[in-house]
Amino acid sequence: MNIKRELPTTTLSGFALSGLLVVTILNILLQNMPKEIYSAGDALLKLNETEGVANAVTTVVVFFRGFDTLGEIAVLFIASLGIGLMLHSNTHCNIKAESNFMLQTASKLLFPIILLFGIYVMVYGHLSPGGGFQGGVIIASAILLLLISDKSFEIPHSIIITLETFAGVSYVLIGLIGLLILDTFLGNFLPHNISQMGLLLSGGIIPLIYIIVGIKVGSEMSMIVQNIIKRSDDV
Amino acid sequence: MTGIIILVTFIGMIIVAFAAIIQTKLADAIILFMGTGLGSVVLFFTFKAPDVALTEAVIGGGISSLIFLMALKHLGEER
Repeated sequence: MNIKRELPTTTLSGFALSGLLVVTILNILLQNMPKEIYSAGDALLKLNETEGVANAVTTVVVFFRGFDTLGEIAVLFIASLGIGLMLHSNTHCNIKAESNFMLQTASKLLFPIILLFGIYVMVYGHLSPGGGFQGGVIIASAILLLLISDKSFEIPHSIIITLETFAGVSYVLIGLIGLLILDTFLGNFLPHNISQMGLLLSGGIIPLIYIIVGIKVGSEMSMIVQNIIKRSDDV
Repeated sequence: MTGIIILVTFIGMIIVAFAAIIQTKLADAIILFMGTGLGSVVLFFTFKAPDVALTEAVIGGGISSLIFLMALKHLGEER
């Protein structure tokens, strides 16, 4: 019994065809090569000077890509909604493990400091590193400390609902006002002079939007953390 | 100087990641995993991205470790 070894003609012709295609594409690319290569980031960073915001990353995230940020917030909201639906429990929470004295005392001392730092990062997002997302998560971590240390502590749902609705609606409203005045969604309709760069009240709507993002992210992350902790102590 | 810091941080991150894989106790592995997050915070800061470093410090150190530890509490120590 002899095995007849045939040449794998289809595979070989496939290789040849793809090699030909690669060579052709490379040839076209090399002939039409631009003299200088710009990246999208450089162009955006050059435009940053027109907006009067000290932190260039903030300008890109909130202004040039403000619509993407709206989408990211919607994604976070859906994640929070999913966790709330999956981990919702009607039984009132009774935590078995008692937190110790050290944690209780330290949380009383640290909670206001962490909260203040979160608000600072949120409000100064257009001047220094940080911003709405980071500040919101820092606030949520302060609430996490309270949730761990004090077993009777619970954020009321009505507060979270009010804050989240307010933040979401005002983000879209600011975008629509920009659409009315400047014909672009999230247009910077407030005064933003380059001479005022570095002041707290500079950059037009950009600090406003970052504060709104911070409120929304903070409330959503707090809700996620509370759902996870209460549920895991429940079982 | 910056090169030395980056090199030391990279090597430390690799060592900590290996240690996290080798650990038999899951709680130790979670703590060591948080160590890799700390290394990446230093790296982001040296690469002039303080915004990303702040995000990584808060989310990697606070929220994701909370989720891992709560899952561990559910499962218990058995695997």
